[in-house]
Amino acid sequence: MKIEGDFEVEAPRAEVWDKIRDPQVMGACIPGCESVEQVDETSYRAQVSVKVGPIKARFNLLVEVLDEQPEHTILSRTSGEEGTRASVVNSDNVVRLTDTDSGGTHVDYAADVSVTGRLGKFGLGIFRKKADQLAGQFVENFRAKLGVTA
Amino acid sequence: MTEVFNPETVEEAVALLAQHGEAMPLSGGATLIAMRNAALVEPSHLISLDRIPDLRGISRDDGGGIRIGAMTRHFETAACVELTGSLQVLRRAAGMIANRVVRNMGTMGGSVANADPAADYLPALSCCDAVLEIAGPDGRRTLSIHDYIEDWYETALEEGEIITAITLPAPVEVSSTYRKIARVSGDYATASCAMALDPDGQGLRVAIGACGPGPLRDRAGEKALRGKLDDPSAVSEFTSRLVALADPVDDVRGSAEYRLRLIPRLVTSVLSELTTQKEMA
Repeated sequence: MKIEGDFEVEAPRAEVWDKIRDPQVMGACIPGCESVEQVDETSYRAQVSVKVGPIKARFNLLVEVLDEQPEHTILSRTSGEEGTRASVVNSDNVVRLTDTDSGGTHVDYAADVSVTGRLGKFGLGIFRKKADQLAGQFVENFRAKLGVTA
Repeated sequence: MTEVFNPETVEEAVALLAQHGEAMPLSGGATLIAMRNAALVEPSHLISLDRIPDLRGISRDDGGGIRIGAMTRHFETAACVELTGSLQVLRRAAGMIANRVVRNMGTMGGSVANADPAADYLPALSCCDAVLEIAGPDGRRTLSIHDYIEDWYETALEEGEIITAITLPAPVEVSSTYRKIARVSGDYATASCAMALDPDGQGLRVAIGACGPGPLRDRAGEKALRGKLDDPSAVSEFTSRLVALADPVDDVRGSAEYRLRLIPRLVTSVLSELTTQKEMA
C-alpha cells in the first residue's frame, strides 16, 4: 500500500530539516508514539500504538535511515512487529523538502507499507484512511513544534 | 481465558464494564466472536447482554413511535409487521444482512455499536431519523443517529457505554426501501441506499451507505430537491452533492472511484422504483 502526501510549513528548510532529524521532536509529533530511543547514528527504536475502532495494536519499530542528502532528502526503512504476535509491518519511506516562494518549506512524503499477520486480515482500505488521519495529526503537532500555525 | 459475565440488568452490565478496563459488551456475537477468534480483539472479560429483559423486544409508545430493544435479532426486525411505510426501509435492510445464521444471531444494538461503514443498519436508521438510547457510568442519554458516527469505526459512544434501544418516529404511509450493491448476496455493501418519500410524494430522505465513515445524508440538498423529484437535472444536482460528501475506501469490494459512480445510479434507480410504486398504489 502506498501512502503519499505533502504539506507546507512557514519555517525555513534548515530549521525543518533539524527538526525532522531530531528523534525526540519526531517522537513527540507522531500520534501514538510512546517512546523513541536512538540505537546508533542512523537507527532508532520506537514504540507506537494505533487504534482503529475496537482494534488496538502496539508496534515495536526499528527505523533505519538508509540515505540522507542533508537539508532535502531522507530515505528510510521502518520494520517492526507487534510484541509476541505475528503481525509484521514494513515500510520504505522517502521525505523530500523544498523551499517555497514565501520562504517556507514544502514537505513531500511517500511510504510503501506492507502489513501482514492478524492486522493484514482487516483490509488495507481502512488503513489508508487511518494513515491519512494520523498524517493530519502529525502535521498539526509538527507545526506546533516549529511554533508556526500554517 | 476470557471470562464471561451474564448480568440481568442494564445497571449491572454498565457496572461490570466500568469494573474491568479491558472488558467488552457481547450482544449477538456475530461479529465480535469472529474478531476475537481472529485475535483482532482480546477482551479480558465479555459482558453478555443476552439475559437483560430490558434490551429485548419491539414496542410502540403512545405516540406510535417504535422502540427496538438493542438485543433484537436481525431476523426479528426483518419479520416485524410494525415496520411499515416510512420504516419499511429498516425491515428491508435487516432482511439483507449476511445470511440466515447471522440474522439469527446478530443484534441491532451490536451492529450499530460496531459501526462498520459497510453494514446495513446505519443508512436505514439514518433515513428513519432514528434516535439511540444509551446507558453508561454517568446514567442514561439519547443521541440522534446523525450525531453518532465520528470517524472510521469511531462513534460517540463513550468508554463503558452501551446502546440499550433504537427508537424510531411513528411510521407514516409512504414508500421506503433499501437497496445494496454487493459482490454476492449477503456480502457487506459495496454501496447501499436507504430511501423514503415524503408523505406528499414531493420530496425524499436518502442515506448512502459504505461510501464514508458513516451514512451520507444531505438534508439541505433534500430540501432543495423538494417538488423537483421528476426533474432529472435537479436529481442529478442532488446526487452530485452526495458524491461530493462521499469519502469511500478502496478495498476488495470495489475501488473508491467505482463507489462514487454507484451513488448517482443507486439514487436514481431507487427513486424511480419508489415513485413507480406510488403511482401503482
